[in-house]
Amino acid sequence: MTEKTNIYKQNLQTLFYPKSVAIVGTNKVKGTVPGDIFTNIMKAELNGVVFPVNPREKFIGGVKTYKYVIDVPDDVDLAIIVFPSSVCNRALEQCGQKGIKAVIIISAGFKEIGEKGLEREKELLEIAAKYDISFIGPNCLGVINTDPVSRLNASFAREFPAEGNIAFLSQSGALCTAVLDYALAKNIGFSKFVSFGNKADISEIDLLYYLMDDEKTKVILLYLEEITNGPGLMQAARDVIEKSGKPVLIMKSGRTSEGASAAASHTGSLAGSDEICNAAFEQAGIIRCDNIQEMFNIAIAFAYQPMPKTNKVAIITNAGGPGVLTTDAAIKQGLQLARFSEETTSILKRSLPSTANIKNPIDVIGDARADRYIAAMDAAFKDDDVDGVFVILTPQSMTDIEAIAEEVAKAAQGSDKPVYTSFMGAADVAAGIKILEKYQIPHYRIPEAMCMPFYTAYAFNKMVKEHTDVTVELTGLDNDKAQSILQNASNEGRSYLPEHVAAKVIEAYGLPVIESGLAHSANEAAEIAAKIGFPVVMKVMSDDILHKFDVGGVVLNVNSKEEATQTFTDIYASVNRKMPDAKIEGIYIEKQIRQGTEVILGIKRDPSFGPVVMFGLGGIFVEIFKDVSFRIAPVDKSAALEMIMQIKSSKLLFGARGRANMDIDSIANAIVRLSRLAVDCPEIKELDINPLIVLEEGEGCYVTDTKIII
Amino acid sequence: MTQEEVKQKVKKAVSEVLKIEQSEIDDDANFIFDLGADSMQSMLLIAAFEDEFDIEMEVEKAQEVQSISEAIDFISGYL
Repeated sequence: MTEKTNIYKQNLQTLFYPKSVAIVGTNKVKGTVPGDIFTNIMKAELNGVVFPVNPREKFIGGVKTYKYVIDVPDDVDLAIIVFPSSVCNRALEQCGQKGIKAVIIISAGFKEIGEKGLEREKELLEIAAKYDISFIGPNCLGVINTDPVSRLNASFAREFPAEGNIAFLSQSGALCTAVLDYALAKNIGFSKFVSFGNKADISEIDLLYYLMDDEKTKVILLYLEEITNGPGLMQAARDVIEKSGKPVLIMKSGRTSEGASAAASHTGSLAGSDEICNAAFEQAGIIRCDNIQEMFNIAIAFAYQPMPKTNKVAIITNAGGPGVLTTDAAIKQGLQLARFSEETTSILKRSLPSTANIKNPIDVIGDARADRYIAAMDAAFKDDDVDGVFVILTPQSMTDIEAIAEEVAKAAQGSDKPVYTSFMGAADVAAGIKILEKYQIPHYRIPEAMCMPFYTAYAFNKMVKEHTDVTVELTGLDNDKAQSILQNASNEGRSYLPEHVAAKVIEAYGLPVIESGLAHSANEAAEIAAKIGFPVVMKVMSDDILHKFDVGGVVLNVNSKEEATQTFTDIYASVNRKMPDAKIEGIYIEKQIRQGTEVILGIKRDPSFGPVVMFGLGGIFVEIFKDVSFRIAPVDKSAALEMIMQIKSSKLLFGARGRANMDIDSIANAIVRLSRLAVDCPEIKELDINPLIVLEEGEGCYVTDTKIII
Repeated sequence: MTQEEVKQKVKKAVSEVLKIEQSEIDDDANFIFDLGADSMQSMLLIAAFEDEFDIEMEVEKAQEVQSISEAIDFISGYL
């Protein structure tokens, strides 16, 4: 955390818990933003003093009104600016003069309208810097703090939400209003609710650090339209998760990949912005959500219930079909059905009718009343193999829905194991669902929907508990050499490095490059080949030739000095015939290594997240199936191993279909070193190692072809 | 028309639209920040200036005029 972030944290505390608030530019007109902000702040019964500021009014809503904020006789903790954008600078300047450190700028008409607005926004930042002001916005819905200590509604939202332990941060104000309405219908409360708009000053990163220490917040939800500081966001999320154990759920819009289409390398074309965003979130432990419903389905699991210790659940249902459907969904999601102990089975046998199914899923039968549900839940809670309970209800004529809801909720509250529910249907079960929501028992409209939130909570808990830092100091990195090669290429005006030069760059970072040399004559070719040792591969080197095979520029299995001499002449002849204008630099000769499995490694730079490394299996797995994995650089060895395991075709490296195990360790080491190169040498725009030949376990891997674009 | 005459006419128009005594209008007052004009009143000010000076102003540029002093300069360009 930076010193700047600390200042933000102090100012954010004042912003969320002000003892005095000035609404600068408010008016008496209901149904307008300046008017409604005043109404909302008064309606919420702020624990503090409110000072309306308007150049013309003497009183607003019966409260004495001041012409300028500097006219307010008392200290002001928070200013909410609702003036038109053209005069926000003057309002902020006066806030500075008044000594106000926390400001919310609601007004629109800044960066979002173009150049003129951007200028205005820059001016706000200059004023804020001059007076050490931290501000949220501009162009936002505002801020809500439901904590009874504050009860701040500095927004023009329609409703003041219930108190809760979920914090919601959003770049979109309109989405905020929809989320508030959704939450209202679902009885979901919030701790803090922030629309941060253009995030000119206070960003989602500052807010994450604030919420990390906010006692009222258990879960953090974030809606983002653009990521301006990817590494900062990742670090903030990591810090929040590691230091507070609070999950961070992000809904990120803009899943398009136009950026990938213009790339010049394999890695560039495969790494779309959304894939990189996914990888970055996964690395940081962020839970990515696709829509509001999914986000809240997961959020209530975290907010209302204990964390699952394992992935083993007991399903309790009054109907067989939904029990089977839920079982299928659970298994597919990666959950397990708990195996009941003999004692549990015996309890269930005694407590339930003989027609009931006492194995998991437990079927308490259609005529079950609350007592059977409770007997089954109690038995499941006592069973050591059960770490979560799914309760399913279908509304049958004899089902006392509300009584069951009441009893299930009370039983759940008395357990340290998470309980999720699904009362299936809509009209008949509505009152029962309201009871469950009142008791903060997660409820899902269909029973299958319980599985994903449970698995997410389980996986998150496991990640937090098992996290270990396995960063190892790398040795044998020659950054000076790599930089010098790249600098020379840049001085020569090159946009990419010839293969033999590119090989030197990655060799400087300890990647296993096979022995090679560049020959300018047939005799030299024979000498170099003999020195390397046969067999060798010979390739034409030319800036003008991208696809060497197509012009007869690559020859494998050269086995003697004589063959090397002849091959040199043959390649020149072939290239001269097929591409007479190509300028040939020489013939590149390298050791031909034994057959292994071809994999591809790469580097790309993402505008939001910076350097990215890629791994995939070579050939059709990359070309057709695009079966690759990404991580933001640098990566440690465990992350590199995860990258290898993550691709669908990874089994081919682990002895599938009678193959030998490949040397996974050497690939992971290569990924780690490549990721350091990506971080240390920002001149490299894109890099492909295609292929990296991987030999059997213990025999290593070798780079045979490298492409570097600068 | 002298600058002083233009200023008095501008203040008169502003006084009528915003219903403020002319004596309360400073020479460099901002219509929004100092005089509390809302967006509708800002549009009415343009119309009031056109009537007062019998001129037709370019609306887009006129909307950028924020204060008494800016209005004097802007309107002088039409006289």
